[in-house]
Amino acid sequence: MTNDPRLTLALALADDELVLGHRHAEWTGWAPHIEEDLAFSSIAQDEMAHARLLYELIGRSDGRDVDALAFGRRPDEYRHAVLCERPNRDWGFSIARQFLYDTADAVRMEVLAESSWRELAELVGVIRLEEKYHVDHAQAWFRRLAEGPLEARQRFADGLATALAEAVAVFEPLPEEEELVSKGVLTVSSEELLALWLGQLGEALEAVSLDYVLEHHGPVGGEMVPTSTGEIEAEREALEVPGIVRRDGRWMHEGAFAGAGGRRGKHSEDFEPLWEEMTTLYREHPGATW
Amino acid sequence: MSAAQERDALELRVLEALATVRDPEIPPVSITDLGIVEHVRVSEAAVEIDLLPTFAGCPALDVIREEAERAARREAGSRVVSVRFVYSPPWTSDRITPAGREALRSYGLTPPGGHDRRTFVALASLGRAEGIAPCPYCGSEDTVLESAFGPTLCRTTHFCRSCRNPFEAFKPKLPGS
Repeated sequence: MTNDPRLTLALALADDELVLGHRHAEWTGWAPHIEEDLAFSSIAQDEMAHARLLYELIGRSDGRDVDALAFGRRPDEYRHAVLCERPNRDWGFSIARQFLYDTADAVRMEVLAESSWRELAELVGVIRLEEKYHVDHAQAWFRRLAEGPLEARQRFADGLATALAEAVAVFEPLPEEEELVSKGVLTVSSEELLALWLGQLGEALEAVSLDYVLEHHGPVGGEMVPTSTGEIEAEREALEVPGIVRRDGRWMHEGAFAGAGGRRGKHSEDFEPLWEEMTTLYREHPGATW
Repeated sequence: MSAAQERDALELRVLEALATVRDPEIPPVSITDLGIVEHVRVSEAAVEIDLLPTFAGCPALDVIREEAERAARREAGSRVVSVRFVYSPPWTSDRITPAGREALRSYGLTPPGGHDRRTFVALASLGRAEGIAPCPYCGSEDTVLESAFGPTLCRTTHFCRSCRNPFEAFKPKLPGS
């Protein structure tokens, strides 16, 4: 692998889509009704296709094979946000996560469409046209649950509170960010993107009086475990809950990122079982085509 | 015939050959009518074809590429044929030709709406997505959107309250937000 920081960025984007795509696909056959089986299956199919486009882009630069990129890496080589690897839990959490991720993704994609890396910008142009339907799906369910009966609203609020801290960490900067910004690959810093997204999120939540979750959200639960050394037991870290505060009428992020480390290959205990499952075929039958 | 004229003539023949290639998920519609043939370049030794994917995750893409290659090869003689997917410009559903739209309808798929996508979504989120896609069977506008997702990535699912048939429509994919 070359040391081109652009490839790390593409990898982070691709891994987000691949890993969350796998979680979405777990709803296939189990969603509350058949339209949602189709919706989550379709969204999963889109996300994995977007991951493939980005892996192909990386492969054109460093010669790596798409399957090797998607399935041939160790867990600590994946750069996705920890949010994407968390299990689906209940419908409230799944919808909350999909809403938080896809609205965050939309903010970042809007900026990447202006990237100086023309090939990436082109792919983003294609991806955005499809992602709109994901945001629509999330927004339709946002309204349905937030304005729904008490239990629906409560479970959605719980899902938001659970997912929120790690959704903020979708914007955890890559170690290479400074170089990416200076070269115009990223035209806006992660910090500014996060502020943009928090502003939109705050408005959406205020409109349904759920903005209290911004100030009173909890950790996702479960210990963060480093996998960078391959040893699951080493160096346990307490989850730091990031502060989201309202100042001068604006929602702002302060302090650390919860679940930080995803962008550096550090993942939670929830990733390894998912990784094992999604890479089984590739590992057990090297060179297989399907 | 000059070399340039010969190349132009071959380009036309290749385009005609591509017009016989079908989308395996929507057999009546050719790939030229779908608007996914972006470029055919004929040079001294090669025929290069650029296709645009409709939806990035469409599983029919590999089949389409192979079929397009086979069709072009029939015309290309000794020239080397290569077919690739490109991503610029992004394919949008307004690239489907009038003939393609008619073919979709004949297959029981309502062609993608020219309606503003925001209307589509706003109605859908309120659960009142009525009249946004006419029924491909009876033409009635008294229809309701069931879901923006369907059996393939490019389809939405609907119900016609007039002839009481469930039906599908080609998903609009339009620029702008």
